[in-house]
Amino acid sequence: MFATIGAKTIEDVGNIGQFGRFVGQTAGSCLRSLWNHRTYPLIWTQMHIIGVCSVPVIMITGAFVGMTLAVQAYDQLAGMGLEERLGVLINISVVKELGPVLAAVMLAGRVGGALTAELGTMNVTEQIDAVRSMGTDPIWYLVAPRVLACLLLTPFLIIYADLLGILGGHFVGVTHLGINNSAYWSFSASGVELWDVSVGVIKGIFFGGAIAVISCYKGFTCREGAQGVGQACTEAFVASFISILALDFALAVAFKAVYNTFWPFKSLVG
Amino acid sequence: MAIEKSNLETAAQERDEPAGETNSNGVLTVKNITKRFGPQLVLDNVSLEIEKGKTTVVIGPSGCGKTVLIKHLIVLLRPNSGEVYFKGQRVDNLSEQELNEVRTHYGFLFQGGALFDSLTVFENIIFPIRQHVKIKEWRDVEDLVKGKLAMVGLDGFQNYYPANLSGGQRKRVALARAIALNPEVILYDEPTTGLDPIRSDVINELVLKLKRELGVTTVVVTHDMTSAYKIADRIIMLHNGKIVADGDAKQIRNHPHPVVQQFIHGQVSEDDLAILRMSGTISQAQFLPRDFEE
Repeated sequence: MFATIGAKTIEDVGNIGQFGRFVGQTAGSCLRSLWNHRTYPLIWTQMHIIGVCSVPVIMITGAFVGMTLAVQAYDQLAGMGLEERLGVLINISVVKELGPVLAAVMLAGRVGGALTAELGTMNVTEQIDAVRSMGTDPIWYLVAPRVLACLLLTPFLIIYADLLGILGGHFVGVTHLGINNSAYWSFSASGVELWDVSVGVIKGIFFGGAIAVISCYKGFTCREGAQGVGQACTEAFVASFISILALDFALAVAFKAVYNTFWPFKSLVG
Repeated sequence: MAIEKSNLETAAQERDEPAGETNSNGVLTVKNITKRFGPQLVLDNVSLEIEKGKTTVVIGPSGCGKTVLIKHLIVLLRPNSGEVYFKGQRVDNLSEQELNEVRTHYGFLFQGGALFDSLTVFENIIFPIRQHVKIKEWRDVEDLVKGKLAMVGLDGFQNYYPANLSGGQRKRVALARAIALNPEVILYDEPTTGLDPIRSDVINELVLKLKRELGVTTVVVTHDMTSAYKIADRIIMLHNGKIVADGDAKQIRNHPHPVVQQFIHGQVSEDDLAILRMSGTISQAQFLPRDFEE
């Protein structure tokens, strides 16, 4: 039993080290790629696949989040006579928390799964070895463009999710639940600050980076065969999902500390 | 010629000879390499020298370590112990970044071709050129790709995707890609596996043609003896991670080692036959309809 636990511990420590090394190599390659114009077409292609093609599904996600929040929260607020403040509740929830997190989860499924499957298939069919055999760094050629595309475009996708979440909440609140339109917007404007929107968008950079790095790593290290690729995709999604939740918590704590630190100086700036 | 001369036309001649660390005459040398995957010993203290301009064929049964050996020659795998030299320079201890330059001297034909399936034939062949050569005129690149494809008999297939090609065509495109940078050494991993005898012979003729016209050093891993006899200057047999035979085709044909004779004649060993006899009859292993009746 001790031998089993010991062997498992050694294996896990080895895997953590391997992942850390992969992250380091990826960070180095990403920095080099920013100054190397030969990488730009590769990044551009990935931005289309990862960013542009994800817009519809991200918008649908955002819209349903906003609409569902409106339906769920209306009765509680109406019971207290605060139904006109529905917009504040929906919009703050969407831009700060639900929009970024659910958009990232959707990306982990759509983009992360595709990245792992693509790179995993390349791995088992020796295409990654072929890249290496031709004197090209596969992390620079395959991973860096995907990570950079995710880092750069996830914040924009979150803005789309936020926007559709706000419009979805407004659509249900005003059109179906009969809340006064100008009151809805006026309470919303007073309750949601630029800081709240920025927090959600900055979270997107971290979420995008985590999804891309984890998915590419799982693809690069996947085992032989169809089962190996399938298992790598599952592991990539689970690891990405947990990372999103953990990062969300860590970032919430960090942003709260930053906000509390700088809150007293807000009046000096604004 | 708008394409930089360095890599394409006189690559082999222009490259500086790396500082010698051995007195070896071989282009590729492996010294006492051992490779393990977990508890499994795949290469056991193997030493080998590949001569310049010759075709060396590595034969052996499936799983004996042939592919592992050839991947060590280009350092796609690193040995647990031992050393690998390319033109006198030790390469197994280089970083991946340093190896990228060394690997431009090699061409590698993978067993399944390993063509990039999201790229066309044209894009596959220009991949190494794009990475290592400054391209000024696309017309020259197009001519170059046309020339490489003509060499393997596939000119006109530039816009095809790998999925639209047969197995033999894929291998020939992969070969065109492998010779794109005019390498000094070409490594072939099971080039005829999965091909019919005629397509296999086409590949054999291509291997001979490339050696004749480009003067490259060739290492072929195969278990196809027809192919081995046809193309080899030297044949090496691996068995259980060790070299058990080394010589020209005639010496291998007459080699006294029973494992070599069994392999080249495709005969099952007495031990394997005994296991088959002990495992019972086929009818005993079959399910009968009554097995499924309730």
